[in-house]
Amino acid sequence: MGAWTVLQERDWVLIPIMIVMVLVGVVRHQVTVLLNGTPKKADLKSARETKALQRCGLLRAHGVHIPEHAFHGRKAFLSEAFEKGTYLKEPNAGNKPRGNVMQDPAYVETMMDGMKKNMMNIVPQTVIMGWINFFFSGFVLVKLPFPLTVRFKGMLQRGVETHDMDVSWVSSLSWYFLNLFGLQSVFTLILGSGHAADAMRDMQAMSTMGMGNAAGPNLSPTGQPQDMHKIFLAEKENLDLTEHEWGLENVETRLLVKYGKKPASVLLDQKKAKIAKLAGRQFPSSASSHAAAATPSAAAASKKKGRRQV
Amino acid sequence: MVNAAKVLQDLRASAERKPDVVVRLGKPLIESGAVLKLDADAWLVYEQVAIAALDIGDDTLAQKCIQALETKFPGSPRVRRLQGMQLEAVGKLAEAGLIYKAILEEDETNVLAAKRQVMLLRAMGLPSEAISALVKYLDINYTDFEGWLQLADLYLEELMYAQAAFCMEEVLMLQPQNHIFHLKYAEILYTQDNIQLALKQFCRVVELCRDHVRGLYGIKMCASRLLKAAPSKDATVTSQEDLEAMDLLATERLIALYGAPGAAAESSKVAATKWIETQ
Repeated sequence: MGAWTVLQERDWVLIPIMIVMVLVGVVRHQVTVLLNGTPKKADLKSARETKALQRCGLLRAHGVHIPEHAFHGRKAFLSEAFEKGTYLKEPNAGNKPRGNVMQDPAYVETMMDGMKKNMMNIVPQTVIMGWINFFFSGFVLVKLPFPLTVRFKGMLQRGVETHDMDVSWVSSLSWYFLNLFGLQSVFTLILGSGHAADAMRDMQAMSTMGMGNAAGPNLSPTGQPQDMHKIFLAEKENLDLTEHEWGLENVETRLLVKYGKKPASVLLDQKKAKIAKLAGRQFPSSASSHAAAATPSAAAASKKKGRRQV
Repeated sequence: MVNAAKVLQDLRASAERKPDVVVRLGKPLIESGAVLKLDADAWLVYEQVAIAALDIGDDTLAQKCIQALETKFPGSPRVRRLQGMQLEAVGKLAEAGLIYKAILEEDETNVLAAKRQVMLLRAMGLPSEAISALVKYLDINYTDFEGWLQLADLYLEELMYAQAAFCMEEVLMLQPQNHIFHLKYAEILYTQDNIQLALKQFCRVVELCRDHVRGLYGIKMCASRLLKAAPSKDATVTSQEDLEAMDLLATERLIALYGAPGAAAESSKVAATKWIETQ
């Protein structure tokens, strides 16, 4: 190996690794496109199932924007619908015990799909890495044109266990990793955006080995189909606990403050009065008296001010 | 040329419907064949220009775009929906309906076709059918606020205000920051004679959009009506002082807005002042 000159090494190791990685990326993109085939048709009923949950979440989050009566009407409706399972895919299948998941064809199909895709991601990278490890282990390929601290040794000199070498030298295996992450923009250039030759997806694929993602029929992160009725019941409980707080309770005052007809302190007083009222509900003793005292005086002051400005 | 493509792309991204601009920019692109240089984006431009051409009634251009898409993607539901729209444009509503129906039979989740079907029913003058189709659509695609708006409009045409108010509440939850939707809800409430609530909503409009004239008019109308009515003892309603202050504020702002130099024609200024005095 020592007989190789730098130029030879460049021609036979550095550039081939890069070319191979680019080519593999392109091939993988094409194969992924082929494998993907036609996207699976979504099912109207399962879409409805998920959207119902979304609807409930939205009501809980944005209920402040609608008046009291509207909120309670919706709350009652959703509560009842969830209880009865109106939005379930099979409303009557409620408590029927579930069969073996592996016999559910939809589930198996999604899982196989995910497996196939992930295989497409993992296999080529493993093969290239093995190839480099086998033929070029211990090669030092590049010298970076800038100095680096010793911490980078693990990143840049993988596979070369020498203490004394300067950190700016890059080993073959590390060159592979640099390529793996650095070729993104090259692929974008060749294949256009949204290509499937993405190394980042490999990393994701490795962390979620073998499981199909959200495309499937309501799979939990572990890949098991979930019992939607249970989720609905949990959501119903959340909804029941949600109190309605209307955002327009004091909008008149807010508006008058905005136009400078009332001092901003009025809003603060109102807030205090409200808290005091809530507290008073629990401990009916002290708080309510001075809150009541605060509001009329403020209102009177504002009235005076309003007259003056007109 | 590159700029035209960029503008078209921006319009697509923001979902603005400016048919005149789209056709003006897109027509030369398509007729010169330069559009094919855009690669994958070319077909999006074709679709965009086709819809815009239908909007402004340029049937030959639309025909050309749809033809190109049809040769590229034979049998695609998205292209067939365009063909349906073309039929609608020339008034062949029943045939268009058949196309949408066929698309939905193949794929019942096709949102575009479902939406077109609703509008087709509306165009055919069958509001109650359109309403029931739209309700069915919204039961699934709940988050489509434009759908809710459309439903509100349909209900308003049928003078079903309570239902329209319900739809607007949904829109408010989905798009709480848009003052136009608050305004619409407020006006429906006013029509329903729910003045208390309407006042609050009008206030919200002006809060979201400073000096919104229509909102100020709303406040003025609600406040003066409530002031004329017997004062209520109920603690939850707006206090008498607040009402007076609101009335004053709205009057003041309206006069100021109409009084600003160059803000309004003299005649409308006079009319506005007269109206304010009568209230």
